[in-house]
Amino acid sequence: MSIFPGAFWGGEVIEALQTVLDPVVLLIVVLSALYGVFVGSIPGLTATMAVALFIPITFHLAPIHAIAAVVTLVACAIFAGDIPNTLLRIPGTPASAAYTDDVHDLAKQGLQDRALGVCLVFSVVGGLLGSLVLMFFAQSLARVATLFGTVEYFWLYLLGLGCAVVATRGSALLGALGLILGLALSTIGLSPAHGSARFTFGIAELYRGINFIPAMIGLFGLSEVLRNLLVIDRRQDAQAPDVASHGAGWSLRRSVESVFGSAVPRLWRRKGPTLRSAGIGATVGMLPGAGADIAAWVSLGVSRRLSKRGQAEPLDHVADATAANNSALAGAWVPALVFGIPGDSVTALVIGILMMKDVTPGPDIFQREDGALVYSIYFLFLVANLVLLPVGFLAIKAGGALVRVSHRTLLPIIILFCVVGSYAVNNSYFDVGVMLAMGLVGFVLDQWRVPLGPVVLGIVLGGPLEERFIGTLNTSDGSLLAFFERPQSLVLGLLSLALWLSPLVSAVRRGKRV
Amino acid sequence: MSRRAPASPEGKGPLVWPLAGLLLLTLLGCGSQGSFPDRPVFLLCPWGAGGGTDRVSRQVAALLEQDLGVNVNVINATGGQGVTGHSRGALARPDGYTMTMMTVELNMLHWRGLTTVGPESFAPIVLLNRDAAALFVRADAPWTTLEELEERIKTSPEPLKASGTAQGGIWHLALAGWYTAMGEDPARLRWLSSQGAASSMTELLAGTIDVVCCSLAEATVQMSSGKVRCLGVMSPERVTPRFPDVPTFEEQGYDWSLEGWRGIGVPRDTPQEIRDVLVPALERVVRSAEFQDFMGRQGFDWRYEGPDPFRASLDRADESLGTLIRSDAFEAIRTTRFGAMVYPTVLGVACAGVLAGLLLTGTLRREGTRRPSRNGWIHFLEGIGFIVLFILLVRPVGFVLTAGILLGLFFWRLGVTPWRAVATTAILVPATYLLFHALLRVDLPRGLLGW
Repeated sequence: MSIFPGAFWGGEVIEALQTVLDPVVLLIVVLSALYGVFVGSIPGLTATMAVALFIPITFHLAPIHAIAAVVTLVACAIFAGDIPNTLLRIPGTPASAAYTDDVHDLAKQGLQDRALGVCLVFSVVGGLLGSLVLMFFAQSLARVATLFGTVEYFWLYLLGLGCAVVATRGSALLGALGLILGLALSTIGLSPAHGSARFTFGIAELYRGINFIPAMIGLFGLSEVLRNLLVIDRRQDAQAPDVASHGAGWSLRRSVESVFGSAVPRLWRRKGPTLRSAGIGATVGMLPGAGADIAAWVSLGVSRRLSKRGQAEPLDHVADATAANNSALAGAWVPALVFGIPGDSVTALVIGILMMKDVTPGPDIFQREDGALVYSIYFLFLVANLVLLPVGFLAIKAGGALVRVSHRTLLPIIILFCVVGSYAVNNSYFDVGVMLAMGLVGFVLDQWRVPLGPVVLGIVLGGPLEERFIGTLNTSDGSLLAFFERPQSLVLGLLSLALWLSPLVSAVRRGKRV
Repeated sequence: MSRRAPASPEGKGPLVWPLAGLLLLTLLGCGSQGSFPDRPVFLLCPWGAGGGTDRVSRQVAALLEQDLGVNVNVINATGGQGVTGHSRGALARPDGYTMTMMTVELNMLHWRGLTTVGPESFAPIVLLNRDAAALFVRADAPWTTLEELEERIKTSPEPLKASGTAQGGIWHLALAGWYTAMGEDPARLRWLSSQGAASSMTELLAGTIDVVCCSLAEATVQMSSGKVRCLGVMSPERVTPRFPDVPTFEEQGYDWSLEGWRGIGVPRDTPQEIRDVLVPALERVVRSAEFQDFMGRQGFDWRYEGPDPFRASLDRADESLGTLIRSDAFEAIRTTRFGAMVYPTVLGVACAGVLAGLLLTGTLRREGTRRPSRNGWIHFLEGIGFIVLFILLVRPVGFVLTAGILLGLFFWRLGVTPWRAVATTAILVPATYLLFHALLRVDLPRGLLGW
């Protein structure tokens, strides 16, 4: 039993189990799950926002109650982002932008239940596996995080971006074009490494750059609405036939089957890839500054690269990405608990909650008398993911009602959602304008078959990538050797260079043959 | 199921549409103007959710809510190193409903020419926190005092690598100021720009940098876990009772101190009678035991200054930071060898390469879709018009009215049956408003009707 931290089976664990199975805690978990799914499924609202809203209340709660709420909220909100992603083509996070078109295409064929079922089941499994990783390997994995400095992050970002190109459906060159476009958009505003204004054309609002949430809503959601508006006269009132096949009388058995019927056998068939994806998710998610976004793309890239053509369905890749996404959530808690360094904005809020309760994160957090609290965090992760299963099922069924609305009624409503969602991020009308502009850009890119996922990832990672790139150059006085100086940077550097060169070479070769 | 052709909604339409308007109006009721505050108040936070300023803002909001009896909603107006939030707060309507959680960047941004908004754009209400800069090294670093670090800086040819915030940010200034105070050229400092103290701490632990300069509050966790050591704090006196063992710079023989601060202000032209409500309310909040307890637990140094002393400290800080920012030393740290256009240039080259590849391989082709009809393009433009009109109208007219009318018009243009259009609009728009207003604390504009 040497892999377990010191007193794993000691009194703390029993105590933690008792705390978690307390009826009040379980009630809080269920309520937070409902709230999390609700907030997460509204375009423009994020898990961070849900948690931040919740913070002032935590002052009056016992720590375990506060943590239970936050853990559940986050796990559920992330999955819920897949609902508008599938039904309306509006991704909830940059991570789910990785597979937007895969799931939305299925929804257009009336198969939204199957797509969302896969998202749900693999989210839950990814979350559970991620929690297990957190349980057993937190302390040893935390050491990996201390190996990562500026240069390593630079390579990691490049690796994530490379995966976005590899994982793209269709031509890698078109993926690269989308990516560079996103990176270019991210240079608008104050440059992260110098703090000087760039491409702002004297517009004060542009100083903060292009916010990725309105951009994402515009690129995917609005552009899809605009495209549908173009052909709406040709549609005989939409979707009705699809519904007819599903809608003849409601039965629980049939609904359960439509959601889980495809997902569960798929899980059985793809045990290996799922384990791999959860591993990637937990490892990448654990690095502060990388997080779920990169995890999902890397997992998708690996999944696309390893599967031989024609053998894997699109949904298999979706499953891999979504498993990594949720597993990364648990990973982000590792550096937060062990070093007090938040892996994402949610764990930053959690550290605040812990400190409010006089629990200071640190390497010895597991050995201290607060140990029980830490172990109960683990169990809460497990419970939260289990609760997500039924709550997510209800959400899928409720969301399905949207699809039954006719296109003529639905399109104006989606526009309203896009407008309000992009406004809600910062209470800014400028963001609504950004959303509109990005909608037009997305419309044009769709016409030229440039994939949109890489554009989003480019906008998200552009700033951090530049910061690391310029930072490394500046601190090394311009020596390119600095990018390969340390052993870990050498390994990561070669890995990402290889990844970048392989599809470009093969794309050019394939292109010539055509 | 609606099978109505888009061109023929006239049948029963004309009667129904005015009815829709009436229904909306009755739903809206009449807005009333009472004494301040009679509707939700906003607290703008120039920094992101989860950070220190955000946590403080949300705590103030929660307590102020109980005191004022109306909702106090925190808005994260982030970006531009604080430009966005401070400018929005200063330019907001001076009616007391938009307050700003101001931070020390207010004293810096205008000197750097990033905005015209400065301390005189605000009427200060309350100062609630001061955090001095402090210097941190890894626990296994060879330096235990500032003197030893100075020795290393002055003798080694290798410049010191440091981080803590963005290039030119407050903690960068603090460290550069110490360099100047000990007669060393700040240009010899290698500053690694970062998005915040947390990622700088990662760098410190990973060994890519030598020191981190940030506030004690931002490093509490790493310090108490024994991973990093604090060499000194740049405050006039020791920070008691939280960190009695950390010596000040002055004790170690350096005439140098620099503090960040947080405080709440409203736009300059806010009427006195509104300030007379806010000042005592915020004083009660900030002086409350609950707030002081919160600040202590989060590691923030609690202070209280009313409007007049706060104004005096604002002016003092503005003068000293202005001197620092306009000095040659600051110019030296601003200019880096790899400037702001290096990265866009690299991107440009990469883009040219990809485009060349696309053209050579002939991959860039338009999707072969059927040409849309003229009507299709009209609907396309209507969709865009919806959003443009929304942006233009929502502030003067209010969310419910704007969204209701636009949605109704759009339904009509797309040929949705009138009863369905009215029902959908009448349910959806107020429901959206209530949802965002009550549950999600995003206040959509009220406009004409006060609703």
